[in-house]
Amino acid sequence: MEIKVFDKEIYLSELEKIAAEQFGDLVKAVVDIEKKVMAVGGELHADEEKQLLDGGSEQKNLWGINLYPAKFGTEEFIEFDSMINIRPSQNNRSRSVEDESMQKKIRELVGEMMHE
Amino acid sequence: MNSFEGLSLLEQLGNVGSEVGRAEAAKAGGDKEKEQLAATRALDLLDRVVADPRWRPRLKEIVRARNLVADYFFGINEFNSKGFEKYFYQFALASRLKR
Repeated sequence: MEIKVFDKEIYLSELEKIAAEQFGDLVKAVVDIEKKVMAVGGELHADEEKQLLDGGSEQKNLWGINLYPAKFGTEEFIEFDSMINIRPSQNNRSRSVEDESMQKKIRELVGEMMHE
Repeated sequence: MNSFEGLSLLEQLGNVGSEVGRAEAAKAGGDKEKEQLAATRALDLLDRVVADPRWRPRLKEIVRARNLVADYFFGINEFNSKGFEKYFYQFALASRLKR
């Protein structure tokens, strides 16, 4: 499946379609918190990360998440879990996004972009 | 061609997930020997994924997954992993959806 990079609206129906074609209940996404874009549709978060890096993103601004379309509108819509998040240089030593202020920024960015 | 090396990435990682699932179940049940055997098989399969020339441009995440699995089952769990079954199960599910 082709990786898509969104810089404006993403509709829930688009995510539902990607989920149905790929992982069933979730869509892997990587957000650039600085450029305010989101890549979706990759088999690996690292594939999406690479696409954003090739487009000029800096790795320190990229965070991997999983989106669950069926849980849109709830806290469970976004899951902070990705291999690309392990970044000791930024004091992030697990697959999660450990900095709660960064989690909040990611939630806000995704919230701004998502449309039902 | 060996059948594992003929699989897609989703299928290969799904297979790894089966062994990881066994290792995690054994870990939860306190069966250290079974855990180590299944984890060893998981790492062997992951090494074959890493060695597959088709995935060379996508090695970063695969190698990282391998290192975290090794750290979790054989190391000190430096990266505070809480398990991998969900991570690998996604690939197994995706490979079935693609059929």
